[in-house]
Amino acid sequence: MEYLSLFVKSIFVDNMIFAYFLGMCSYLAVSKNVKTANGLGIAVILVLLITLPINYLLNKYVLSPGALSWLGDNFAGVDLSFLSFIVFIAVIAGIVQVVEMVVEKFMPSLYSSLGIFLPLIAVNCAILGGSLFMQQREFVNVGESAVYALGSGIGWYLAIVALAAIREKLSYSNVPAPLKGLGITFFTVGLMGMAFMAFMGISL
Amino acid sequence: MNTNSNVYTVIYTTIVCVVVAAILAFVSQSLKDRQEANEKAENISQILTAAQFGEKSSWTDNNTTINFYKENIDRALLVNAKGETVKVMDASKAEIYTVSDLKKQNYNVNGASGELEIPVYIFKNGVSVLPLYGAGLWGPVWGYVALENDLRTIKGAYFDHSSETPGLGGKIKDDPAFRGAFCGKQLNIGSERPFTIAKGAGSSNDGIDAISGATMTSKGVDAALVAWLNAYMPYIVANVNE
Amino acid sequence: MDAKLKETILNPLWKGNPISVLVLGICSSLAVTVELKGACVMALSVTIVTALSSLVCSLIRKTIPNRVRIIIQLVVVALMVILVDQVLKAFAYGVGKQLSVYIGLIITNCIVMGRIEAFALGNKPVASFLDGLFNGLGYGIILIVVGFFRELLGSGTLFGFDVLNRFGYVNNGLVILPPMALIFLGCLIWIQRAISKDLQEK
Repeated sequence: MEYLSLFVKSIFVDNMIFAYFLGMCSYLAVSKNVKTANGLGIAVILVLLITLPINYLLNKYVLSPGALSWLGDNFAGVDLSFLSFIVFIAVIAGIVQVVEMVVEKFMPSLYSSLGIFLPLIAVNCAILGGSLFMQQREFVNVGESAVYALGSGIGWYLAIVALAAIREKLSYSNVPAPLKGLGITFFTVGLMGMAFMAFMGISL
Repeated sequence: MNTNSNVYTVIYTTIVCVVVAAILAFVSQSLKDRQEANEKAENISQILTAAQFGEKSSWTDNNTTINFYKENIDRALLVNAKGETVKVMDASKAEIYTVSDLKKQNYNVNGASGELEIPVYIFKNGVSVLPLYGAGLWGPVWGYVALENDLRTIKGAYFDHSSETPGLGGKIKDDPAFRGAFCGKQLNIGSERPFTIAKGAGSSNDGIDAISGATMTSKGVDAALVAWLNAYMPYIVANVNE
Repeated sequence: MDAKLKETILNPLWKGNPISVLVLGICSSLAVTVELKGACVMALSVTIVTALSSLVCSLIRKTIPNRVRIIIQLVVVALMVILVDQVLKAFAYGVGKQLSVYIGLIITNCIVMGRIEAFALGNKPVASFLDGLFNGLGYGIILIVVGFFRELLGSGTLFGFDVLNRFGYVNNGLVILPPMALIFLGCLIWIQRAISKDLQEK
């Protein structure tokens, strides 16, 4: 039950895009049509799902103050938390490149449809944001962090597919010339964000 | 040289990682003492600000701050879950609980099984300062609530945060009106909610209004305040002066 | 000054503006533009970090293996940011404390990465440094403009000093919420593209 509530909450209430405005750059840049948005969304879910549990374990057993005590009492006082930013980022970038290679080797058709979006994910701040939230919320086990990763990934996926669908429709509308493309997208996302704020009050 | 070969890639990455980690470890170690001294003085200045000994901006010099604390502190106690004093901290060395100490105790405050030992700073003018710690929207929030001699009336408060949004959640620290709203309010001793930060709570005697636009941060401070005040409640009940 | 250098300097400020044209660094521009002060601090830090990490990455560009370049770039950026943070915490605690709020935002700011990837890896150190510097400035200008209007309309103040409230202005709480930053950015893009017609999309 707790997992379910965490899952639903991370999709809607704590939506990465609309509640925290993380991962905006690729969100705006790659939402021109539903097909590519779909690809990027799935890739984000995948990378979040792999990196968060890894970073969780790293944080719990290496980085946080006293985490190294399993190595022996001498290490109990070691605090490596100043390294956490750099370790998280390195893990994310590493995983993105590994995923890229694996997908290229074993699923060439998926690889060609994702194309350039895979490497782009490394700079998607939703991924680092996920790891930092995970560190701050102090989840009790790997399962929780995985559920949180899945939930926030799906939340991001929903957001980008929804925006892409709106943009496909918008391309048939008569938008003032200077607003075409990027400009009107900003307005759309702003309005979507306001709508999503309605979820803010929900507590599960 | 072939920069795309596997061997080169692995060696290069390893070297970069080692160099970066070494630089960071070296810098972090060599600056640690200075950073800790700064942090301690910063914590003390927050305690002094909460106790209304002066505005936060007046405590700029580390030595002045620490000396003022030493001169004015009567005793700094550590109390347990029953409200009993388990230890008296050395005031001549300006021994205090830093934010990381508060973080460790926060687990016990919120129901972990460890031994609860939370500090109370009692000044010579009768003001007691109680710290609190919790989670805001983006990261931890912490702060100090100063109580008058009766341990019921709030003399002042000070809050700080590591990463709340400036101008929204950051107002818990930056907006004097938010801190000022605490002054003169009274704790509701005996209630499960000794104090409330929520929209519309400002009209009651035991609450203040949340910051508009920063619901999550306000909720975080509220939860931290309630949890820590409840942890202190046995001490407050035992020592309250009617 | 030769034409290419001039292009490097002027392009990010208008025609190749990182926010309004390249769509980089949006997240941070939503988070820190609630007040002018935060916007200025962020603009300054991003300018410094972009310039320095572009310089460093450009210096080592020929040695970086292509397959791990993203990791290397991010590590360099993170290293720069953390170093600045640590030194400030030891020697200028007040400033460092204010800046530490922005550390995460600077590292994940795609402008830094974007400029390294697009420019610094293929150009000489000096040009890369200038490219980073002026991209940071182009980003900063937008941040400061948005921050100016959001603080003025949302809180009635500028740099924390009361401007509008004394005339009986009632604060518009909506402006403080992040979605409004998107709308303001949309308006800026609207204005910019109305002036420079060649930036308009078909």
